[in-house]
Amino acid sequence: MTTSGGGVTIDVRSVSKWYGNVVAVNEVSARVGPGITGLLGPNGAGKTTLLHMIAGLAAPSDGEVLALGEPVRDNPPLYRRIGFMPESESVYGMLTGRGFVELAAELHGLDPVGPPVERALETVGLSETQGRATGTYSRGMRQRARLAAALVNDPELLLLDEPLSGTDPRQRIEIQDVMRRLASRGRTVLVSSHILEEVEVVADNILLMVAGKLAASGNLAAIREKLDERPYHVRVVCGSSRSMAAALIGLDAVGSVTVDDESSLTLLTDSIAALQRSLPRLAKERDIRLFRVEALDESLESVFGYLVEGR
Amino acid sequence: MTTVLRLSLRQLGSRWRLLLVVALAALPVGLTALLSASQGDDSVDSAFFTNVLLDGLLMAVILPIVTIVLATASFGNEVEDRTLSYLTLRPVSRWLIALPKALAPFIIAGPVMAVSCAAVVLIGGGGILGSELVASDNVGLAILAAGVSALTAAAAYTAIFTWAGLAVSRALAFGLLYVFVWEGVVTTFLGGVRYFSVRAYSLAILNGIDGSTFESLEGRVIELPAAVVGVVVVVAAFFLLTVRQLRRMDVP
Repeated sequence: MTTSGGGVTIDVRSVSKWYGNVVAVNEVSARVGPGITGLLGPNGAGKTTLLHMIAGLAAPSDGEVLALGEPVRDNPPLYRRIGFMPESESVYGMLTGRGFVELAAELHGLDPVGPPVERALETVGLSETQGRATGTYSRGMRQRARLAAALVNDPELLLLDEPLSGTDPRQRIEIQDVMRRLASRGRTVLVSSHILEEVEVVADNILLMVAGKLAASGNLAAIREKLDERPYHVRVVCGSSRSMAAALIGLDAVGSVTVDDESSLTLLTDSIAALQRSLPRLAKERDIRLFRVEALDESLESVFGYLVEGR
Repeated sequence: MTTVLRLSLRQLGSRWRLLLVVALAALPVGLTALLSASQGDDSVDSAFFTNVLLDGLLMAVILPIVTIVLATASFGNEVEDRTLSYLTLRPVSRWLIALPKALAPFIIAGPVMAVSCAAVVLIGGGGILGSELVASDNVGLAILAAGVSALTAAAAYTAIFTWAGLAVSRALAFGLLYVFVWEGVVTTFLGGVRYFSVRAYSLAILNGIDGSTFESLEGRVIELPAAVVGVVVVVAAFFLLTVRQLRRMDVP
Protein backbone atom coordinates (compact mmCIF):
# COMPACT_ATOMS: atom_id res chain seq x y z
CA MET A 1 0.00 0.00 0.00
CA THR A 2 1.06 3.61 -0.46
CA THR A 3 1.84 5.33 2.79
CA SER A 4 0.90 8.76 1.57
CA GLY A 5 -1.53 10.33 -0.78
CA GLY A 6 1.00 11.69 -3.31
CA GLY A 7 2.88 9.94 -6.12
CA VAL A 8 4.97 6.90 -5.47
CA THR A 9 8.63 7.66 -4.75
CA ILE A 10 9.65 4.27 -3.42
CA ASP A 11 8.15 1.11 -4.83
CA VAL A 12 9.19 -2.08 -3.07
CA ARG A 13 7.86 -5.10 -4.93
CA SER A 14 7.80 -8.46 -3.15
CA VAL A 15 11.33 -7.99 -1.95
CA SER A 16 13.19 -10.64 0.01
CA LYS A 17 16.75 -10.78 1.17
CA TRP A 18 18.46 -13.77 2.65
CA TYR A 19 22.00 -14.51 3.77
CA GLY A 20 22.54 -18.26 3.59
CA ASN A 21 19.71 -19.74 5.62
CA VAL A 22 18.89 -16.49 7.38
CA VAL A 23 16.00 -14.52 5.95
CA ALA A 24 16.54 -10.85 6.73
CA VAL A 25 13.62 -9.47 4.72
CA ASN A 26 10.71 -11.65 3.70
CA GLU A 27 8.38 -10.78 0.80
CA VAL A 28 7.99 -7.11 1.62
CA SER A 29 5.89 -4.91 -0.63
CA ALA A 30 5.39 -1.22 0.08
CA ARG A 31 4.91 2.04 -1.73
CA VAL A 32 6.01 5.31 -0.20
CA GLY A 33 5.15 8.79 -1.40
CA PRO A 34 6.25 12.31 -0.52
CA GLY A 35 6.24 13.30 3.13
CA ILE A 36 7.79 11.61 6.11
CA THR A 37 7.37 7.89 6.56
CA GLY A 38 8.72 6.06 9.55
CA LEU A 39 10.27 2.63 9.15
CA LEU A 40 9.74 1.09 12.56
CA GLY A 41 10.69 -2.17 14.10
CA PRO A 42 12.83 -3.74 16.79
CA ASN A 43 16.54 -4.30 16.32
CA GLY A 44 17.05 -7.16 13.89
CA ALA A 45 13.68 -6.66 12.22
CA GLY A 46 15.26 -6.05 8.82
CA LYS A 47 14.91 -2.26 8.67
CA THR A 48 18.53 -1.56 7.72
CA THR A 49 18.55 -4.35 5.14
CA LEU A 50 15.37 -2.95 3.58
CA LEU A 51 16.79 0.59 3.59
CA HIS A 52 20.00 -0.68 1.98
CA MET A 53 17.97 -2.31 -0.77
CA ILE A 54 15.94 0.88 -1.27
CA ALA A 55 19.19 2.86 -1.49
CA GLY A 56 20.70 0.39 -3.94
CA LEU A 57 23.47 -0.68 -1.58
CA ALA A 58 22.22 -4.26 -1.41
CA ALA A 59 20.70 -6.40 -4.11
CA PRO A 60 17.40 -8.10 -3.27
CA SER A 61 17.56 -11.88 -3.34
CA ASP A 62 14.11 -11.73 -4.86
CA GLY A 63 11.79 -8.94 -5.95
CA GLU A 64 12.52 -5.45 -7.18
CA VAL A 65 12.97 -1.95 -5.79
CA LEU A 66 12.21 1.23 -7.73
CA ALA A 67 13.14 4.65 -6.45
CA LEU A 68 11.87 7.76 -8.19
CA GLY A 69 10.52 5.48 -10.92
CA GLU A 70 13.81 3.77 -11.75
CA PRO A 71 15.53 0.57 -10.65
CA VAL A 72 17.85 1.75 -7.94
CA ARG A 73 20.49 -0.98 -7.96
CA ASP A 74 23.67 -0.19 -9.93
CA ASN A 75 22.17 3.04 -11.24
CA PRO A 76 24.72 5.77 -10.35
CA PRO A 77 22.96 8.60 -12.26
CA LEU A 78 19.92 8.10 -10.01
CA TYR A 79 22.03 8.66 -6.89
CA ARG A 80 22.20 12.34 -7.85
CA ARG A 81 18.58 12.56 -6.62
CA ILE A 82 18.97 10.46 -3.47
CA GLY A 83 20.43 11.23 -0.07
CA PHE A 84 21.32 8.39 2.28
CA MET A 85 22.51 8.52 5.83
CA PRO A 86 23.75 5.11 6.96
CA GLU A 87 23.30 3.76 10.45
CA SER A 88 27.05 3.30 10.93
CA GLU A 89 28.61 6.20 12.80
CA SER A 90 31.85 5.99 10.87
CA VAL A 91 33.10 9.00 8.99
CA TYR A 92 36.47 9.79 7.44
CA GLY A 93 38.11 10.86 10.68
CA MET A 94 40.99 12.69 9.00
CA LEU A 95 38.63 15.03 7.14
CA THR A 96 37.17 18.13 8.71
CA GLY A 97 33.41 18.44 8.96
CA ARG A 98 33.49 20.73 5.97
CA GLY A 99 35.85 18.43 4.08
CA PHE A 100 33.52 15.51 4.69
CA VAL A 101 30.54 17.38 3.24
CA GLU A 102 32.67 18.78 0.40
CA LEU A 103 33.65 15.22 -0.50
CA ALA A 104 29.97 14.37 -0.94
CA ALA A 105 29.34 17.56 -2.92
CA GLU A 106 32.28 16.95 -5.26
CA LEU A 107 31.24 13.36 -5.87
CA HIS A 108 27.73 14.61 -6.67
CA GLY A 109 29.35 16.87 -9.27
CA LEU A 110 28.07 20.07 -7.66
CA ASP A 111 29.71 23.18 -9.06
CA PRO A 112 30.43 25.40 -7.28
CA VAL A 113 30.80 23.30 -4.17
CA GLY A 114 30.85 26.11 -1.60
CA PRO A 115 27.22 27.30 -1.38
CA PRO A 116 25.54 23.87 -1.08
CA VAL A 117 28.16 22.76 1.47
CA GLU A 118 27.62 25.88 3.58
CA ARG A 119 23.85 25.46 3.32
CA ALA A 120 24.02 21.82 4.43
CA LEU A 121 26.35 22.64 7.34
CA GLU A 122 24.08 25.51 8.37
CA THR A 123 21.01 23.26 8.21
CA VAL A 124 22.47 20.77 10.67
CA GLY A 125 24.11 23.41 12.86
CA LEU A 126 27.73 22.53 12.17
CA SER A 127 28.90 25.82 10.67
CA GLU A 128 30.92 26.81 13.70
CA THR A 129 32.74 23.51 14.05
CA GLN A 130 33.19 22.78 10.34
CA GLY A 131 36.96 23.26 10.55
CA ARG A 132 37.49 20.52 13.12
CA ALA A 133 38.46 16.99 12.13
CA THR A 134 35.44 14.70 12.28
CA GLY A 135 37.58 12.27 14.24
CA THR A 136 37.38 14.71 17.15
CA TYR A 137 33.60 15.16 16.88
CA SER A 138 31.16 13.86 19.45
CA ARG A 139 28.72 11.16 18.39
CA GLY A 140 25.96 13.71 17.86
CA MET A 141 28.22 15.94 15.78
CA ARG A 142 29.27 13.03 13.59
CA GLN A 143 25.59 12.23 13.19
CA ARG A 144 24.93 15.76 11.97
CA ALA A 145 27.94 15.73 9.66
CA ARG A 146 26.59 12.56 8.05
CA LEU A 147 23.19 14.18 7.72
CA ALA A 148 24.76 17.25 6.09
CA ALA A 149 26.53 14.97 3.58
CA ALA A 150 23.18 13.34 2.80
CA LEU A 151 21.52 16.74 2.32
CA VAL A 152 24.19 18.48 0.26
CA ASN A 153 22.71 17.48 -3.10
CA ASP A 154 19.21 18.65 -2.03
CA PRO A 155 17.82 15.14 -2.61
CA GLU A 156 14.29 14.35 -3.74
CA LEU A 157 14.46 11.18 -1.69
CA LEU A 158 16.15 11.12 1.68
CA LEU A 159 16.79 7.81 3.42
CA LEU A 160 17.82 8.06 7.06
CA ASP A 161 18.85 5.00 9.03
CA GLU A 162 18.43 5.62 12.75
CA PRO A 163 19.34 9.32 12.39
CA LEU A 164 18.33 10.23 15.91
CA SER A 165 20.36 7.69 17.81
CA GLY A 166 23.10 9.33 19.82
CA THR A 167 21.62 12.79 19.59
CA ASP A 168 20.61 14.90 22.55
CA PRO A 169 17.02 16.23 22.83
CA ARG A 170 17.89 19.57 21.25
CA GLN A 171 19.68 17.96 18.32
CA ARG A 172 16.78 15.54 17.94
CA ILE A 173 14.34 18.42 17.58
CA GLU A 174 16.64 20.09 15.04
CA ILE A 175 16.93 16.97 12.93
CA GLN A 176 13.18 16.43 13.13
CA ASP A 177 12.74 20.03 11.94
CA VAL A 178 15.02 19.32 8.98
CA MET A 179 12.83 16.37 8.04
CA ARG A 180 9.68 18.48 8.33
CA ARG A 181 11.13 21.23 6.15
CA LEU A 182 12.09 18.75 3.45
CA ALA A 183 8.66 17.13 3.59
CA SER A 184 6.96 20.50 3.32
CA ARG A 185 8.84 20.99 0.04
CA GLY A 186 7.35 17.80 -1.37
CA ARG A 187 10.39 15.63 -0.70
CA THR A 188 10.18 12.03 0.45
CA VAL A 189 11.83 11.20 3.75
CA LEU A 190 12.01 7.59 4.92
CA VAL A 191 13.37 7.42 8.43
CA SER A 192 14.07 4.24 10.34
CA SER A 193 13.99 3.87 14.09
CA HIS A 194 13.40 1.28 16.74
CA ILE A 195 11.84 3.88 18.98
CA LEU A 196 8.25 4.80 18.22
CA GLU A 197 8.32 8.16 19.98
CA GLU A 198 11.20 9.36 17.82
CA VAL A 199 9.23 8.84 14.67
CA GLU A 200 5.61 9.43 15.58
CA VAL A 201 6.18 13.14 16.20
CA VAL A 202 7.26 13.65 12.58
CA ALA A 203 5.78 10.80 10.56
CA ASP A 204 2.13 10.44 9.73
CA ASN A 205 2.72 7.13 8.07
CA ILE A 206 4.72 4.13 9.05
CA LEU A 207 6.04 0.86 7.76
CA LEU A 208 6.20 -1.52 10.69
CA MET A 209 8.68 -4.37 10.28
CA VAL A 210 8.85 -7.35 12.54
CA ALA A 211 11.07 -10.40 11.99
CA GLY A 212 11.79 -9.47 8.38
CA LYS A 213 8.15 -9.00 7.46
CA LEU A 214 6.03 -5.95 6.99
CA ALA A 215 3.64 -6.24 9.94
CA ALA A 216 1.70 -3.09 9.13
CA SER A 217 1.86 -0.04 6.93
CA GLY A 218 -0.10 3.16 6.49
CA ASN A 219 -1.43 5.82 8.79
CA LEU A 220 -0.11 5.43 12.32
CA ALA A 221 -3.42 6.23 14.09
CA ALA A 222 -5.34 3.81 11.88
CA ILE A 223 -2.80 1.05 12.57
CA ARG A 224 -3.10 1.60 16.30
CA GLU A 225 -6.88 1.23 16.06
CA LYS A 226 -6.68 -1.80 13.85
CA LEU A 227 -4.23 -3.53 16.14
CA ASP A 228 -6.33 -2.78 19.17
CA GLU A 229 -9.21 -4.65 17.53
CA ARG A 230 -7.22 -7.79 16.79
CA PRO A 231 -7.46 -10.74 19.15
CA TYR A 232 -4.18 -11.81 20.69
CA HIS A 233 -3.13 -15.03 22.35
CA VAL A 234 -1.40 -14.30 25.62
CA ARG A 235 0.21 -16.75 28.02
CA VAL A 236 0.09 -15.97 31.72
CA VAL A 237 2.44 -17.81 34.08
CA CYS A 238 1.38 -17.33 37.69
CA GLY A 239 1.06 -18.96 41.11
CA SER A 240 -2.39 -20.47 40.47
CA SER A 241 -3.64 -20.69 36.92
CA ARG A 242 -7.14 -21.93 37.89
CA SER A 243 -7.84 -19.04 40.26
CA MET A 244 -6.45 -16.57 37.72
CA ALA A 245 -8.57 -18.12 34.94
CA ALA A 246 -11.70 -17.71 37.04
CA ALA A 247 -10.88 -14.06 37.58
CA LEU A 248 -9.95 -13.35 33.97
CA ILE A 249 -13.02 -14.91 32.40
CA GLY A 250 -15.13 -12.17 33.95
CA LEU A 251 -13.28 -9.43 32.05
CA ASP A 252 -14.88 -7.97 28.93
CA ALA A 253 -11.52 -7.83 27.18
CA VAL A 254 -10.96 -11.57 27.54
CA GLY A 255 -12.67 -13.88 25.06
CA SER A 256 -11.57 -17.28 26.27
CA VAL A 257 -9.18 -18.82 28.76
CA THR A 258 -7.47 -22.21 28.55
CA VAL A 259 -5.67 -23.61 31.57
CA ASP A 260 -2.47 -25.26 30.33
CA ASP A 261 -1.26 -26.56 33.68
CA GLU A 262 -1.22 -25.52 37.35
CA SER A 263 0.88 -22.44 36.73
CA SER A 264 0.15 -21.50 33.12
CA LEU A 265 -2.89 -20.41 31.15
CA THR A 266 -3.50 -19.06 27.65
CA LEU A 267 -6.13 -16.44 26.96
CA LEU A 268 -7.55 -14.69 23.94
CA THR A 269 -8.01 -10.94 24.24
CA ASP A 270 -9.02 -8.18 21.87
CA SER A 271 -7.56 -5.45 24.04
CA ILE A 272 -4.02 -5.71 25.27
CA ALA A 273 -4.32 -2.31 26.93
CA ALA A 274 -7.35 -3.40 29.00
CA LEU A 275 -5.60 -6.64 29.90
CA GLN A 276 -2.50 -4.76 30.98
CA ARG A 277 -4.58 -2.60 33.31
CA SER A 278 -6.64 -5.43 34.78
CA LEU A 279 -4.17 -8.26 35.18
CA PRO A 280 -2.02 -6.82 37.99
CA ARG A 281 -5.15 -5.65 39.85
CA LEU A 282 -6.76 -9.10 39.66
CA ALA A 283 -3.56 -10.80 40.76
CA LYS A 284 -3.27 -8.48 43.73
CA GLU A 285 -6.91 -8.92 44.75
CA ARG A 286 -6.60 -12.70 44.72
CA ASP A 287 -3.09 -12.80 46.09
CA ILE A 288 -1.72 -14.64 43.05
CA ARG A 289 1.91 -14.13 42.08
CA LEU A 290 2.47 -13.21 38.44
CA PHE A 291 5.65 -14.63 36.94
CA ARG A 292 5.37 -13.91 33.25
CA VAL A 293 2.95 -12.45 30.71
CA GLU A 294 3.85 -13.01 27.09
CA ALA A 295 2.30 -12.70 23.68
CA LEU A 296 2.56 -16.02 21.87
CA ASP A 297 3.04 -14.58 18.42
CA GLU A 298 6.51 -13.07 18.11
CA SER A 299 5.39 -10.50 15.62
CA LEU A 300 2.46 -9.46 17.74
CA GLU A 301 4.69 -9.20 20.75
CA SER A 302 6.75 -6.68 18.91
CA VAL A 303 3.65 -4.89 17.73
CA PHE A 304 2.53 -4.68 21.33
CA GLY A 305 5.86 -3.25 22.21
CA TYR A 306 5.79 -0.60 19.59
CA LEU A 307 2.22 0.39 19.27
CA VAL A 308 0.55 -0.42 22.56
CA GLU A 309 3.19 -0.32 25.23
CA GLY A 310 5.03 2.41 23.37
CA ARG A 311 8.50 1.03 23.98
CA MET B 1 38.44 10.83 -9.98
CA THR B 2 40.86 13.26 -8.35
CA THR B 3 38.50 13.57 -5.36
CA VAL B 4 38.67 9.85 -4.64
CA LEU B 5 42.42 9.78 -5.37
CA ARG B 6 43.10 12.59 -2.91
CA LEU B 7 40.94 10.88 -0.30
CA SER B 8 42.66 7.52 -0.82
CA LEU B 9 46.15 9.03 -0.61
CA ARG B 10 45.23 10.70 2.66
CA GLN B 11 43.79 7.44 3.98
CA LEU B 12 46.89 5.46 3.05
CA GLY B 13 49.26 8.20 4.12
CA SER B 14 48.87 7.62 7.82
CA ARG B 15 52.15 8.01 9.68
CA TRP B 16 52.49 4.45 10.95
CA ARG B 17 51.75 2.96 7.55
CA LEU B 18 54.27 5.17 5.76
CA LEU B 19 56.86 4.43 8.43
CA LEU B 20 56.31 0.71 7.98
CA VAL B 21 56.57 1.00 4.20
CA VAL B 22 59.76 3.06 4.34
CA ALA B 23 61.29 0.78 6.98
CA LEU B 24 60.54 -2.30 4.86
CA ALA B 25 61.93 -0.64 1.74
CA ALA B 26 65.06 0.47 3.59
CA LEU B 27 65.79 -2.99 4.96
CA PRO B 28 67.37 -4.50 1.81
CA VAL B 29 69.19 -1.23 1.12
CA GLY B 30 70.73 -1.31 4.58
CA LEU B 31 71.60 -4.98 4.24
CA THR B 32 73.26 -4.40 0.88
CA ALA B 33 75.21 -1.46 2.26
CA LEU B 34 76.36 -3.55 5.19
CA LEU B 35 77.48 -6.41 2.98
CA SER B 36 79.16 -4.07 0.55
CA ALA B 37 81.03 -2.23 3.27
CA SER B 38 82.16 -5.34 5.10
CA GLN B 39 82.82 -7.59 2.11
CA GLY B 40 86.43 -8.49 1.90
CA ASP B 41 86.21 -11.91 0.28
CA ASP B 42 84.15 -13.56 -2.46
CA SER B 43 81.46 -15.20 -0.34
CA VAL B 44 78.90 -12.81 -1.77
CA ASP B 45 79.04 -13.20 -5.53
CA SER B 46 76.82 -11.99 -8.34
CA ALA B 47 74.57 -15.03 -8.07
CA PHE B 48 74.07 -14.49 -4.35
CA PHE B 49 73.33 -10.81 -4.87
CA THR B 50 70.80 -11.46 -7.64
CA ASN B 51 69.15 -14.60 -6.31
CA VAL B 52 69.11 -13.91 -2.59
CA LEU B 53 69.13 -10.14 -2.09
CA LEU B 54 67.32 -8.94 -5.18
CA ASP B 55 64.99 -11.83 -5.86
CA GLY B 56 64.68 -13.75 -2.59
CA LEU B 57 64.37 -10.71 -0.31
CA LEU B 58 63.24 -7.74 -2.40
CA MET B 59 61.06 -9.19 -5.15
CA ALA B 60 59.72 -12.18 -3.27
CA VAL B 61 59.12 -10.69 0.17
CA ILE B 62 59.55 -6.93 0.67
CA LEU B 63 57.84 -5.69 -2.48
CA PRO B 64 54.73 -7.88 -2.15
CA ILE B 65 54.40 -7.11 1.58
CA VAL B 66 54.63 -3.36 0.95
CA THR B 67 51.92 -3.58 -1.69
CA ILE B 68 49.78 -5.80 0.55
CA VAL B 69 49.99 -3.27 3.38
CA LEU B 70 48.90 -0.44 1.10
CA ALA B 71 46.60 -2.00 -1.47
CA THR B 72 44.47 -4.18 0.80
CA ALA B 73 43.76 -1.08 2.90
CA SER B 74 42.71 0.97 -0.11
CA PHE B 75 39.17 -0.43 -0.07
CA GLY B 76 39.60 -2.57 3.03
CA ASN B 77 39.45 0.37 5.43
CA GLU B 78 36.15 1.51 3.97
CA VAL B 79 34.66 -1.97 4.00
CA GLU B 80 35.71 -2.39 7.62
CA ASP B 81 34.57 1.08 8.72
CA ARG B 82 31.37 0.88 6.70
CA THR B 83 32.22 4.12 4.95
CA LEU B 84 32.15 2.69 1.43
CA SER B 85 28.59 3.92 0.89
CA TYR B 86 29.95 7.49 0.99
CA LEU B 87 31.61 6.68 -2.33
CA THR B 88 29.27 4.18 -3.94
CA LEU B 89 26.03 6.10 -3.38
CA ARG B 90 27.23 8.94 -5.54
CA PRO B 91 26.60 9.50 -9.23
CA VAL B 92 30.05 8.26 -10.16
CA SER B 93 30.85 5.35 -12.48
CA ARG B 94 32.22 2.38 -10.61
CA TRP B 95 35.45 2.39 -12.61
CA LEU B 96 36.03 6.01 -11.59
CA ILE B 97 35.98 4.80 -7.99
CA ALA B 98 38.07 1.67 -8.63
CA LEU B 99 40.79 3.40 -10.66
CA PRO B 100 41.91 5.97 -8.06
CA LYS B 101 41.55 3.34 -5.35
CA ALA B 102 44.06 1.16 -7.23
CA LEU B 103 46.26 4.09 -8.25
CA ALA B 104 46.74 5.44 -4.72
CA PRO B 105 48.66 2.44 -3.33
CA PHE B 106 50.68 2.24 -6.54
CA ILE B 107 51.60 5.93 -6.33
CA ILE B 108 53.14 5.23 -2.91
CA ALA B 109 54.45 1.69 -3.32
CA GLY B 110 55.74 2.00 -6.91
CA PRO B 111 58.29 4.81 -6.43
CA VAL B 112 59.31 3.66 -2.95
CA MET B 113 60.07 0.14 -4.16
CA ALA B 114 61.66 1.34 -7.40
CA VAL B 115 63.99 3.54 -5.40
CA SER B 116 64.70 0.69 -2.99
CA CYS B 117 65.56 -1.71 -5.83
CA ALA B 118 67.60 0.92 -7.66
CA ALA B 119 69.50 1.76 -4.47
CA VAL B 120 70.28 -1.90 -3.83
CA VAL B 121 71.68 -2.27 -7.34
CA LEU B 122 73.56 1.02 -7.12
CA ILE B 123 75.22 0.03 -3.86
CA GLY B 124 75.73 -3.60 -4.81
CA GLY B 125 76.85 -3.00 -8.38
CA GLY B 126 78.60 0.33 -8.08
CA GLY B 127 80.70 -0.57 -5.12
CA ILE B 128 80.20 2.92 -3.73
CA LEU B 129 80.42 1.71 -0.15
CA GLY B 130 83.22 -0.75 -0.67
CA SER B 131 83.27 -3.91 -2.71
CA GLU B 132 81.05 -4.68 -5.69
CA LEU B 133 78.57 -7.40 -4.86
CA VAL B 134 77.52 -7.91 -8.45
CA ALA B 135 79.63 -7.62 -11.57
CA SER B 136 78.06 -5.11 -13.91
CA ASP B 137 79.35 -3.60 -17.13
CA ASN B 138 76.68 -0.94 -17.05
CA VAL B 139 75.43 -0.01 -13.59
CA GLY B 140 73.04 2.57 -15.04
CA LEU B 141 71.29 -0.10 -17.10
CA ALA B 142 71.16 -2.43 -14.11
CA ILE B 143 69.58 0.32 -12.00
CA LEU B 144 67.04 1.00 -14.76
CA ALA B 145 66.21 -2.73 -14.97
CA ALA B 146 65.71 -2.95 -11.22
CA GLY B 147 63.53 0.17 -11.13
CA VAL B 148 61.32 -0.86 -14.05
CA SER B 149 61.04 -4.38 -12.70
CA ALA B 150 59.94 -3.09 -9.29
CA LEU B 151 57.44 -0.69 -10.82
CA THR B 152 55.79 -3.35 -12.96
CA ALA B 153 55.65 -5.83 -10.09
CA ALA B 154 54.16 -3.13 -7.84
CA ALA B 155 51.52 -2.39 -10.48
CA ALA B 156 50.51 -6.05 -10.76
CA TYR B 157 50.51 -6.71 -7.00
CA THR B 158 48.59 -3.49 -6.38
CA ALA B 159 45.87 -4.54 -8.81
CA ILE B 160 45.57 -7.96 -7.15
CA PHE B 161 45.53 -6.72 -3.56
CA THR B 162 43.21 -3.78 -4.23
CA TRP B 163 40.69 -6.30 -5.51
CA ALA B 164 41.36 -8.53 -2.49
CA GLY B 165 40.69 -5.63 -0.11
CA LEU B 166 37.24 -5.31 -1.61
CA ALA B 167 36.34 -8.91 -2.28
CA VAL B 168 38.07 -11.00 0.40
CA SER B 169 37.05 -10.75 4.03
CA ARG B 170 40.58 -11.35 5.38
CA ALA B 171 42.51 -9.63 2.64
CA LEU B 172 45.77 -9.31 4.57
CA ALA B 173 45.87 -13.04 5.32
CA PHE B 174 44.88 -13.79 1.74
CA GLY B 175 47.70 -11.58 0.47
CA LEU B 176 50.34 -13.20 2.66
CA LEU B 177 49.12 -16.66 1.74
CA TYR B 178 49.18 -15.76 -1.93
CA VAL B 179 52.70 -14.34 -1.74
CA PHE B 180 54.30 -17.09 0.31
CA VAL B 181 52.45 -20.10 -1.07
CA TRP B 182 51.79 -19.20 -4.69
CA GLU B 183 54.62 -16.81 -5.51
CA GLY B 184 57.09 -18.26 -3.02
CA VAL B 185 56.59 -22.00 -3.33
CA VAL B 186 54.32 -23.13 -6.15
CA THR B 187 55.69 -20.99 -8.96
CA THR B 188 59.26 -21.53 -7.80
CA PHE B 189 59.12 -25.27 -8.04
CA LEU B 190 56.62 -25.75 -10.85
CA GLY B 191 58.15 -24.20 -13.95
CA GLY B 192 54.96 -24.26 -16.02
CA VAL B 193 53.00 -21.98 -13.72
CA ARG B 194 55.65 -19.26 -13.80
CA TYR B 195 53.63 -17.71 -16.59
CA PHE B 196 51.07 -16.92 -13.86
CA SER B 197 53.52 -15.43 -11.39
CA VAL B 198 54.09 -11.73 -10.78
CA ARG B 199 57.49 -12.50 -9.30
CA ALA B 200 58.43 -14.36 -12.51
CA TYR B 201 57.30 -11.35 -14.56
CA SER B 202 59.50 -9.02 -12.50
CA LEU B 203 62.55 -11.30 -12.83
CA ALA B 204 61.98 -11.66 -16.57
CA ILE B 205 61.87 -7.88 -16.95
CA LEU B 206 65.00 -7.52 -14.83
CA ASN B 207 66.85 -10.07 -16.91
CA GLY B 208 65.30 -8.84 -20.16
CA ILE B 209 66.57 -5.29 -19.72
CA ASP B 210 70.00 -6.21 -18.36
CA GLY B 211 70.80 -9.85 -19.07
CA SER B 212 74.48 -9.29 -18.46
CA THR B 213 74.33 -8.11 -14.85
CA PHE B 214 71.54 -10.49 -13.87
CA GLU B 215 72.71 -13.47 -15.90
CA SER B 216 72.31 -15.80 -12.90
CA LEU B 217 68.56 -15.58 -13.50
CA GLU B 218 69.02 -17.33 -16.85
CA GLY B 219 67.30 -20.66 -16.96
CA ARG B 220 64.56 -19.75 -14.51
CA VAL B 221 62.97 -16.73 -16.15
CA ILE B 222 60.20 -16.65 -18.71
CA GLU B 223 60.45 -14.73 -21.97
CA LEU B 224 60.33 -10.92 -21.71
CA PRO B 225 57.30 -10.48 -24.05
CA ALA B 226 55.38 -13.07 -22.05
CA ALA B 227 56.22 -11.19 -18.87
CA VAL B 228 55.08 -7.85 -20.28
CA VAL B 229 51.83 -9.38 -21.52
CA GLY B 230 51.42 -11.11 -18.16
CA VAL B 231 51.71 -7.84 -16.22
CA VAL B 232 49.24 -6.11 -18.54
CA VAL B 233 46.76 -8.99 -18.28
CA VAL B 234 47.02 -9.17 -14.47
CA VAL B 235 46.57 -5.42 -14.04
CA ALA B 236 43.63 -5.27 -16.49
CA ALA B 237 41.95 -8.44 -15.21
CA PHE B 238 42.08 -7.50 -11.54
CA PHE B 239 41.00 -3.94 -12.28
CA LEU B 240 37.95 -5.27 -14.12
CA LEU B 241 37.28 -7.71 -11.28
CA THR B 242 37.40 -4.79 -8.83
CA VAL B 243 34.90 -2.80 -10.91
CA ARG B 244 32.67 -5.86 -11.18
CA GLN B 245 32.87 -6.49 -7.44
CA LEU B 246 32.01 -2.87 -6.75
CA ARG B 247 28.94 -3.16 -8.94
CA ARG B 248 27.72 -6.46 -7.58
CA MET B 249 28.61 -6.47 -3.91
CA ASP B 250 26.31 -5.60 -1.06
CA VAL B 251 27.89 -2.50 0.42
CA PRO B 252 27.99 -2.78 4.21
